Amino acid sequence: MPRFISPLVLALIGLILFGDGAYIHAKAWLAQVLLERAFDRSAATGEVVKPWSWADTWPVARIEVKRIGAGAIVLEGTSGQALAFGPGHIHQTVDAGERGIAVYAAHRDTHFRFLRNVAIGDVIDVTRRDGKHFRYRADSSTVVRFDESGIDPATQDVELVLTTCWPFDAVTPGPERYVLHATLIEAGE
Amino acid sequence: MDTYDTADSDAHPILGRLIKIGLFLLAQGIAVLLVSLVALLVSFGTSWSATAVQASLLQPGDAKSGSLLLKEDGATTEAIRLGTDIDITVSGPTLRARVTQVFRNPTKDWVEATYVYPLPSGGAVDTLKMVVGDRVIVGDIKERQQARVIYEQARRAGQKAALTEQERPNIFTNSVANIGPGETVLVQIEYQEPVHQSGSEYSLRLPLVVGPRYNPAPIVQSVDFRKDGSGWGATNSEPVPDRDRISPPVLDAARNAPVNPTSITVRLKAGFALGEVRSHHHNVKVESPDNATRIVSLAEGAVPADRDFELTWKPAAEKAPSVGLFRERVGDADYLLAFVTPPSAEQATQRPLPREVVFVIDNSGSMGGTSIVQAKASLTYALSRLQPNDRFNVIRFDDTMDLLFPASVPADATHVGEATSFVSALQARGGTEMVPAMRAALTDKLGDTSMVRQVVFLTDGAIGNEQQLFETITAMRGRSRVFMVGIGSAPNTYLMTRAAELGRGAFTRIGSVEQVEERMRGLFAKLENPAVTGLSAKFSEAKADVTPAIIPDVYRDEPLVLAARLDKLAGSLEIKGRVGDRPWSVTLPLQNAAEGKGLSKLWAKRKIGDAEVTRTMREMTPEDSDKAILALALDHQIVTRLTSLVAVDKTPSRPEGEPLKLSELPLNLPAGWDFEKVFGERPHLTPTQLRERHADARNQPTARRPTPATPDAIRLPKTATSAELKMIGGFILIVLALILFVFNRRQPLLTDAA
Repeated sequence: MPRFISPLVLALIGLILFGDGAYIHAKAWLAQVLLERAFDRSAATGEVVKPWSWADTWPVARIEVKRIGAGAIVLEGTSGQALAFGPGHIHQTVDAGERGIAVYAAHRDTHFRFLRNVAIGDVIDVTRRDGKHFRYRADSSTVVRFDESGIDPATQDVELVLTTCWPFDAVTPGPERYVLHATLIEAGE
Repeated sequence: MDTYDTADSDAHPILGRLIKIGLFLLAQGIAVLLVSLVALLVSFGTSWSATAVQASLLQPGDAKSGSLLLKEDGATTEAIRLGTDIDITVSGPTLRARVTQVFRNPTKDWVEATYVYPLPSGGAVDTLKMVVGDRVIVGDIKERQQARVIYEQARRAGQKAALTEQERPNIFTNSVANIGPGETVLVQIEYQEPVHQSGSEYSLRLPLVVGPRYNPAPIVQSVDFRKDGSGWGATNSEPVPDRDRISPPVLDAARNAPVNPTSITVRLKAGFALGEVRSHHHNVKVESPDNATRIVSLAEGAVPADRDFELTWKPAAEKAPSVGLFRERVGDADYLLAFVTPPSAEQATQRPLPREVVFVIDNSGSMGGTSIVQAKASLTYALSRLQPNDRFNVIRFDDTMDLLFPASVPADATHVGEATSFVSALQARGGTEMVPAMRAALTDKLGDTSMVRQVVFLTDGAIGNEQQLFETITAMRGRSRVFMVGIGSAPNTYLMTRAAELGRGAFTRIGSVEQVEERMRGLFAKLENPAVTGLSAKFSEAKADVTPAIIPDVYRDEPLVLAARLDKLAGSLEIKGRVGDRPWSVTLPLQNAAEGKGLSKLWAKRKIGDAEVTRTMREMTPEDSDKAILALALDHQIVTRLTSLVAVDKTPSRPEGEPLKLSELPLNLPAGWDFEKVFGERPHLTPTQLRERHADARNQPTARRPTPATPDAIRLPKTATSAELKMIGGFILIVLALILFVFNRRQPLLTDAA
């Protein structure tokens, strides 16, 4: 039945490719489950808790946008590996709630897929690893090139930037980034 | 495949098959998903039983993404300039150094400068002076946090301020706030240090640059259990909590002219007629006003701060004095410093015990250039010195590790030959994961107590997680003794001395290829001759607080150095011990002690070192040792981990509203290091933006300005996965396969019909 072989091979390759893509999503989803647990422990003890023993990163904060019911656990650092598991905190920037600007980046098709639904004026809640809560309001959004972010790390306000690749629906990587800017409106325990 | 042929009798053959194939594909899709999930779980799997150390999982790429790379180098004309002048006066057993740093601001902005610099680890920093114009402001010792607060307040208020903080016992940071446009501010620190003696040679060593440290990624979790024994503890996974503080920007020597010119003058008053005086790594001019005094200065004026300055001197007499006793009265207490060189055991009467020697060689990237050449030459020399009845092994490490032999082997010609070719093939690259290598070296596989077990560790010590290494040695040393060999132009001597102290061995320093043979011969004299053991010190009349509290074993040619605080200077000091298997003692009458300088500070510095050691050995709780250190530091005005010096000029100088810029001064790479080996590829050179710190909130509107013209400090990472692309591609292929399949099915039907 040689004429069935080529479609079968094609189907197999298709499935593997599809499975590989699905694996990225599965990893992103499963990692967040583990991270959620690590973060809860971290918030309870105030210590750095790693989601798995050899992780080269650890949860630093939880971000939530309650209006659209979205959220994610943010990891320290933005290496490719960290970003596969969750949004990353760009590590030259300050921690959320500190004077300056905290920048979180994540993949547009996994953890920051919800970013397209965040409107200006939305409230973004950030819970830090040490259990402190900060409330930000989204006040502007721009599209920039990755090397010209216009983000001033020396700002005097307490600010937050969530960033992901732009355009949202593109399937190939590009140089443009979507930058959602927010400013602190409330800090509490 | 037979099913396809026999199914022709179905009512809707094509539909039936399509359903079948659909189901098959669905099942396969689920299977692939399951497999991928299982694969994921397996890769997460070990975490459920995660106690094993996974050192091998660290990838070299992780090491390179340290904070050093992210900070751009400051190679612009806009940077703050620094010049350093070092003036050292040696008076007998101690030396006092005055380090003057000149911060010149050629820019048009108000600037805050921070400079990370090394000092000898035995140095007690006790004075900070800031010179602004013709005014001198003297710094006060304060608790670290408090000093920081005072400094920050002054910075915000526009006052000139200087702050000296200790990052490691041999790394300090000076911060100077509010240097006006075109202004020059002088910051002067002074420290006291004992002179080092080995055999008949005296030496001082002045580190001039902090070699970039390898800061391991947090991989291994350590657990701190609460002291109350309740079984609850907290995990602690950051091996280098202060990695940002000890990682200043570093200039690539191949692309930038060296910075930080340094001039050095040493006034040497040895207290005895001097023989040879030699500088090992710098050209010097030596003047001799009289036979016991020398004035040494750099021959070519200022040099770039990129290697350690080492000066050695010998007495004119054949043999150096074997005893030195010095005193100083401060407040109501007398301080005593004693140097005693025990006699060396007679070789003839002592057959050296057979030894098991484990050589560990660091072939990480920081060892690139001349360091690895020195290390290889040293090790090759060491291998040639082994006796046939010795056993040995060789371990090499970077961020990976190899044991040459599974366990130590006899040092016969075959094994030594194999080891020599193994060593000569080594290349320097990768990170520096020192802890696993030390652990492997200390693992006593033979357990043969008739042999002396020695670990010879060759490294530059360029790591930031010193404490983890100390804890490993303390926990695993057993009967092994650890001998540290410091390699390169700027080794981390704090790590070396403390590791050798905890490992009850000795520390040997090799600064150039020429020194290899001489220094290794010295080391082998220590390895092959019995140490002076079981040492104790007793004062006949005075009540004394002696440091070190537990006197370490003394190796051949090393003097025993004791510092003590006495209630009265009376009676004598008796030192007892065993040389080989024979008892030995010496009695020193205290009346004969000569006047010394700064001995109280040296005593306090040693006591602080003792407290840090007991903390590492877990003989004292961290709280207790911190309390002891703080009390000593405040009492004796010394900068420590917990105390800083801060000086504030009360008159504000920066007008309100003027912004303040922060400038982190870049360091040279130590001489002989290879930039690319340490940092990977050279970063693209972009004009550096000084990190701004606005002291005044009024600058807010300007702070928010968009800056598209200049490249930003923050680059946004790549944030798109290939998941969708793959899924779409996969989907298209599946559909294509289906179409093909249907098409192929049609074909035979048509031909059958025909």
